[in-house]
Amino acid sequence: MSFVEHLPAILIMNLFIFAFAMPLIHKWNRNWATIVSLFSLVLSFSISVIILIEVINNGAISYYLGGWEPPFGIEFYIDYLSSYMLIVLTGMGLIIFYYGLDNLPFELKGEIVGWYYTLYLLLIGAMLGMAITNDLFNLFVFMEISAIASCAIISVKKDRECLEASFKYLILSAMGTGCYLLAIALIYMITGYLNYDMVQAALVEQMAVYPNNVLAALSLIAVCFCVKAALFPLHVWLPDAHASAPSTSSAMLSGLVIKIYAIALIHLMFRVFPLEIFYEVPLKEILLWLGVLGMILGSIFAMTQENFKRMLAYSTVAQIGYVFLGIGLFNQTALVGGLLHILNHAVMKSILFMVAGIILYTKGLKKVREFDGIGNQLQWTMTAFIIASASMVGIPITGGFISKWYLATGAFEAERPFFIGVIILSSLLNAMYYFPIAIRAFLLEPKPESMVYRPVTRNLLIPVIILTALIFYVGMNPQGIVGILENAVEVLFNQM
Amino acid sequence: MEMLEGLLENYIYLVAIVLFIIGMHTMLTHSNLVKKVIAMNFMDTAVFLLFVAVGYVHGASPPIVDKTAEAGAHINPLPSVLILTGIIVALSVTAFALSLVTKIYEYYGTVDADEIADLRSID
Repeated sequence: MSFVEHLPAILIMNLFIFAFAMPLIHKWNRNWATIVSLFSLVLSFSISVIILIEVINNGAISYYLGGWEPPFGIEFYIDYLSSYMLIVLTGMGLIIFYYGLDNLPFELKGEIVGWYYTLYLLLIGAMLGMAITNDLFNLFVFMEISAIASCAIISVKKDRECLEASFKYLILSAMGTGCYLLAIALIYMITGYLNYDMVQAALVEQMAVYPNNVLAALSLIAVCFCVKAALFPLHVWLPDAHASAPSTSSAMLSGLVIKIYAIALIHLMFRVFPLEIFYEVPLKEILLWLGVLGMILGSIFAMTQENFKRMLAYSTVAQIGYVFLGIGLFNQTALVGGLLHILNHAVMKSILFMVAGIILYTKGLKKVREFDGIGNQLQWTMTAFIIASASMVGIPITGGFISKWYLATGAFEAERPFFIGVIILSSLLNAMYYFPIAIRAFLLEPKPESMVYRPVTRNLLIPVIILTALIFYVGMNPQGIVGILENAVEVLFNQM
Repeated sequence: MEMLEGLLENYIYLVAIVLFIIGMHTMLTHSNLVKKVIAMNFMDTAVFLLFVAVGYVHGASPPIVDKTAEAGAHINPLPSVLILTGIIVALSVTAFALSLVTKIYEYYGTVDADEIADLRSID
């Protein structure tokens, strides 16, 4: 029993410990490094599953690190939302890692792969920490670990574009964390606590006495998380960073890293700030309209791109808009849609970046207009591409349809049918840049110079197929996941 | 007048905010990458200053355990401890940023963001 109690700590520590052992193991034996990291990811995934079952059966878990109780100690608090994120992060992390087995040696120089595993495990560990922590300062520490690790998995490729993109990302995210730290200082100044629940209890009283502090803290936090989640006007770092990174990193960054900041923002909005503050500041409206702008303009920018991965990166800007639409509409159905879109987009965008990696591996092609007729040789890959883009557009029986359906229903419930129109428009825009690629790949005659072909390996194809199956699974049997999310959202609204 | 007095009393907060804004402004507008890194440290240091000032109690002693002391006799040690962690984090981010700058210099031959943008638009 005592072992099960400590699972939240083991979940994160196992990744951090193996992360730092990785270069040593890699130096000793290259195959073992892969096996050990795979083991550590599988361990984290199984712990997440146990935690999810535990949460469903016995309710939320809180864990005091080192036995120190709050306000002095750090608390981990795992409810439905956190355990859902744990499953998404560790599960997707595992699948993307499996893809990296063949992709990384191709895109990186051999010796550096061991170091890449270090960064990868650190990044997953930090994101898990952000999902379950219940302490403002601890969130800051995990944010910085994840910022450094995610910049490093871009710059690890060692070409000039990656370095510049990585530096830009680092500077903007350092600005974000600077703002966040200032916000913590402002909150600590008036409450004297760092634990989410205690801060909320204290803020309810202190709001009337020190309204300026609370407002300044809220706006600083909003800026920080909007930069890091790449919400529309603050997305400038994203296209360079996600397009130039190795495909494995791109899948990771686009699929998971930006989402976890949206989750952290939801945690802070619902569990730290009292409800009254949202009547004073139109934060929800701001997030809503920025999300809508991102959905439309992100897609329009994506259409103008020649480079396939850059197009996918701009599409990410559009898709994160859906998540913020779910937050901004501020009712239970819309938030379920937004949270479900986190999973759906993680799956779809990972498939698309994996496809980009496979096209680069087999044919060395990067530009969309060179893709003529590649479907003849890459049938499986391009079929997965079509399914993923159908899910992006939101065609029924794919996962994307379910999340868009919930968002639209949420907009209807909020009595704002305008946003249903926006969702439909954005879906049409998605179709306008994804389907021409499918047509080009399958229906056009291949150019003679693009006939060069290296056979695609099994390790590259298996993750793509698993994820494609997952799209259909979510599309056809959404009850289980939606049930968990409905509980999660209900808990969140009760905590306000 | 009342506001001015309040400001003078809490001048440390004012200094911290001014430093923070200088840092943020330099970080976003300067084209020199090394200056950006320095400005990042400005920002972090400003917040550290603010944080430590929050925990300070006028005329109180350092928090060395003495069970007979009354409440308010010691300064609050928690912000100082947090800032120790904060300094370590800021240090590692700075180290990583500087190593990126050296790499960028190797590849582009300059540390000026505008010149790098020009170089990239050529090819």
